[in-house]
Amino acid sequence: MTQLIGGFLDVLNLSTLVWIAVGVTVGYVLGVLPGLGKATGVAVSIPLTFYLGPVAAIAMLIGIAKGSTAGSAVSAILLNTPGEPSSAPTALDGYPLARQGKAQKALKMGLFASVIGDFLSTLILICLAAPLAQYALLIGPVELCAILVFSLTFIGGLSGKSLTKGLIAGALGIFFATVGLETETFIPRMTFDLLELDDGIPLVPMAIGMLAVAEMAIQAGNMRALDMEMAQIADSGNPDDRRVTRDEWRRCAVPILRGTLIGSVIGILPGLGASVASFLSYGATRKASDDPDSFGTGRIEGVAAAESADNAVVPSSLVPLFALGIPGSVIAAILIAAFVLHGLTPGPLMFEQNPRMVAAVYAAMLCASLLMLVIGYFGQSLFAQVIKVPMRLIIPPVLFLCCIGAYMESGSVFAIWIMLFFTVFGFFAKKLDFSFVTFLIGYVIGPSIELTFRQSLQILDHKWTNLLVHPIALVFIVLTAVTLVLLARAQTTGKNARTKPRPTGAEPQPSTQGRNR
Amino acid sequence: MSILKRRHVLARLASFAMAGSLMATPALADDHYPDRPITMLVGYNAGGQTDLVGRAAAKVMSEELGQPINVVNRPGAGGAVAARELQQAKPDGYTIMFHANTVVNTAPFLMKRVQFTPDDFEWAGFITAYQAGLVTQKESPFDDLDGFVAWAKENPGFSYGSLSPAARMTMNEIAKKEGLDVNIVPLNGGGEMINAVLGNQVVLALSGGIHSKYPDQMKMVAALTTFRHPSDPDVKTIDEFGYELAMDTRAGLYLPKGTPEDIVQTLSDALAKAQTDPTFKQVTGSASIPIMYLDADKAKQEMVSTFGKHGQIFRNAGVEPQ
Repeated sequence: MTQLIGGFLDVLNLSTLVWIAVGVTVGYVLGVLPGLGKATGVAVSIPLTFYLGPVAAIAMLIGIAKGSTAGSAVSAILLNTPGEPSSAPTALDGYPLARQGKAQKALKMGLFASVIGDFLSTLILICLAAPLAQYALLIGPVELCAILVFSLTFIGGLSGKSLTKGLIAGALGIFFATVGLETETFIPRMTFDLLELDDGIPLVPMAIGMLAVAEMAIQAGNMRALDMEMAQIADSGNPDDRRVTRDEWRRCAVPILRGTLIGSVIGILPGLGASVASFLSYGATRKASDDPDSFGTGRIEGVAAAESADNAVVPSSLVPLFALGIPGSVIAAILIAAFVLHGLTPGPLMFEQNPRMVAAVYAAMLCASLLMLVIGYFGQSLFAQVIKVPMRLIIPPVLFLCCIGAYMESGSVFAIWIMLFFTVFGFFAKKLDFSFVTFLIGYVIGPSIELTFRQSLQILDHKWTNLLVHPIALVFIVLTAVTLVLLARAQTTGKNARTKPRPTGAEPQPSTQGRNR
Repeated sequence: MSILKRRHVLARLASFAMAGSLMATPALADDHYPDRPITMLVGYNAGGQTDLVGRAAAKVMSEELGQPINVVNRPGAGGAVAARELQQAKPDGYTIMFHANTVVNTAPFLMKRVQFTPDDFEWAGFITAYQAGLVTQKESPFDDLDGFVAWAKENPGFSYGSLSPAARMTMNEIAKKEGLDVNIVPLNGGGEMINAVLGNQVVLALSGGIHSKYPDQMKMVAALTTFRHPSDPDVKTIDEFGYELAMDTRAGLYLPKGTPEDIVQTLSDALAKAQTDPTFKQVTGSASIPIMYLDADKAKQEMVSTFGKHGQIFRNAGVEPQ
């Protein structure tokens, strides 16, 4: 504790705070722009930090990571274009809210959820870095595989009206995830001799195509109706639509805390990422809700759940890095280079050799959380003006941004073709009411399940009895079985309840086609 | 806009265009190379180890050459996508690539669709080497490869972490020769390899060099290079243990085929400056990457000899390109 106070003394000076603010601001803007993610931002900024002191440099880099994770919600809510893949579930409810004239409300809730998730997760990092990380290594491929199979059962809860359609979408997601080099022997699968497909279908262009471009195509189809609607809704006179009411705080408290917990745990576990966390948190909140079908039509809890989990991943993924020197995420891997360059070798020795500096980094991370609140709050009022612009003016720049976003990661036109392919796919998925969420969960989790399953086979020496020495895995296998039985029961007994009309009035329904999924 | 003014503007545009076309003629370019920014392709994502070394090298070279060098990441197929793009670029020294030489001296023996040979590029030199080795936990009961083989004979069904078909081939060759019963666990990237070793999921794993960051938790039982590692000079190479499986990997500059010889030499000399540059040493030193400079001529020889040698190793092991 005294160390932490000393750390704050090192951080609370003008120049360090300015660099943190610069990092958060740069990150926020990068996050808003689709395709420019935190990984690119941090990687490109590392050389710039050569000229800064170690604390300021690391604080700035972490500021970029935190800021861009929060900023990616803005474009997800306003344009249905997630700035980063992990904000894709934010768009599911955030965008309908924006269309209902409640953009400011959704943006604020997104920011508050981000900051809370981030702040609490940073506290978790500070308190538990050393003790927790010892357990992180207990989670090997066998345990991970069981956990992932369990998380696939969320597809059941997320399928919406039709379980069959949800399963079809999920299976298609897994199908597309199999494209690319197989990890064991590098046999190419369905790459059609295109070297660009060796590393699989990239997530960013795919998500942009399915979510944003397809949405723009549908909107262009009924632009006139939308413009008329916009004239009425854009200036929502009700002040309650521009802020988060006390009632909504009450409803969102649990989803935010749950999201923070899910995000923190997933961040600590090696190999999973922010996308998995935000999708799982969104799925869990939807499943726990009294009215799951209304998700996707503008439920503020959906935004809160996704954003809190998304942001909680960033600090907690540093737990294994700080305690054991093992990167838990891409961002942590990039940060290793920065840490070492500035004379701090991540790992258990770091706490003994440089306690003051570790404390300063912690203090800087907490400051970054608070600065994110301030910068995001003022930045949003600027961004929120977007919603007042008529659709015909929004579509061209959004398509432009989509192309840039798809192009940026790999720097190749091939990614734009991928985007267009999945635009067509997304267009029909939307029109035919197939779930995007289950598709993306299948896509994100599928490859991890395959790899961990194959690893497990080798580690267990091909004998299932060896499973008995993996109790954590056994627990999750049992949980999976129980969930499946419960789901099947709900399907048969719930048939009658399902035909009853849904309660109306609690949430306004969207008046245009193609937005409810 | 008045007609006069417009004429003026047109005239200036024309002069610009002429200047541009003059600049593009090769005769002038040779004397003044480089007189405009250079693009450096890197076939991995931003932030990786090779990318960081490439960026540091670009900084040194651009100071030396007096022109900016823009690093452009073209990830895909372990660098083959970037290499193919480099092949299609003009051989004028303004498009270069910094990458591991595995794209040419290893990938063609594993992947049918990658068919590069050393003659497809000009080589302007290598600056660093990768310290690949077989690694295990610090507290393992064996200290070198011979000790491991003896232990493995007593413990059939042990797990080995493999990052690629080449890593798989290395273990299969050892297992074939010694009659070992091994389970090969596929791993996806260096981070996962570290997790698998530290988490005691595997007994032994092939590391591309990242293990040297964990000297307190891991030890190397054999170097997989032809030379002993500068950061671990006491550990014998796999050839010294009698297996003939050592394969060297280096990072350096690829140029498009047909780049004029003096430009190759200019770039090679600029790269040499990285050996003594303090920032470059800091970047490589922080990750225990040894600086082993080879100039353009030696780089070409290195490529021809490793291409032949690696091909032979893979063919002897019966590995077919997929």
